[in-house]
Amino acid sequence: MVSQSAQNLPVASESAPGTSPETTPSADVGLLDRPAEDNPWRVIVWNDPVNLMSYVTYVFRAHFHYSQDKARTLMMAVHQEGRATVFTGGREDAERHTSAMHGYGLWATFERDGG
Amino acid sequence: MAKEFRSGRKGITGGLEGPERELLIKLFQDVITTLEPDTPEDEDPLASLVGISEDSSVPEDPALARLLPQASDDDEEAAEFRRLTERSVREAKIGHLRMAAMDCESPKLLLDHEHSMAFASALNDVRLVLATRLGIESEEDAQRVASYTDWSQAQDVESYMSLVYQFVSWLQDSLVEAMLSDLD
Repeated sequence: MVSQSAQNLPVASESAPGTSPETTPSADVGLLDRPAEDNPWRVIVWNDPVNLMSYVTYVFRAHFHYSQDKARTLMMAVHQEGRATVFTGGREDAERHTSAMHGYGLWATFERDGG
Repeated sequence: MAKEFRSGRKGITGGLEGPERELLIKLFQDVITTLEPDTPEDEDPLASLVGISEDSSVPEDPALARLLPQASDDDEEAAEFRRLTERSVREAKIGHLRMAAMDCESPKLLLDHEHSMAFASALNDVRLVLATRLGIESEEDAQRVASYTDWSQAQDVESYMSLVYQFVSWLQDSLVEAMLSDLD
């Protein structure tokens, strides 16, 4: 994330204050810079011999927008190791993704990271 | 015989014969029936409006329990999650199954992105229900079911259902391969 100094913040932005990165005073903190304790939940997808490799790959690509390589790697982990962590983040997002996986017909659980 | 799904400019096309479409419609409807909640008469109408269900126990029907699995190994957590989300998952699934059943009414399948996703997940739900009835829990079970390869082997419920399962699996794989090719 590019650091923004207070001097070059646009004064009259067309967007509402605080909604775009340029007008957010704390813009020097990127999404990926969050401290670890902000990401304490994970979503796990479990193997089910019913779920096709192609379908699991597709769901990971379409739902999480993962690359072909990442989606395939996760699918293979589910298939061969019986499970894969497909998402790490806040609790609300973890619950939302778990529910979405159930909607697609994949068996997912959420849990505290490291728990 | 059904033709493979193909991705084209207007969407994904598939060729199903009349009896195949009738079979799929029947299967989609069976899963819808499995998923429709038994609404208690004294249910809080506001709770039902916002998608909260009173009942948060694991479904007794094993097929339904596979469609709506436990979301946590912590039972309390799983029950609370079920109470808050199960109804909307059921409704989303029913929506997909109805859409797929409607698409099967037409002799020529032409699926846009929304319809192909609905069709693929509807086929997956059909397979989950059939797999539960067939006792597919492991890769070995899946192999046993895969040993039925020809309709002439359809002699009892188990063999017939195994062949239906394989047909639906083939169909889903063919559809999803076409969907994957659209992403590249």
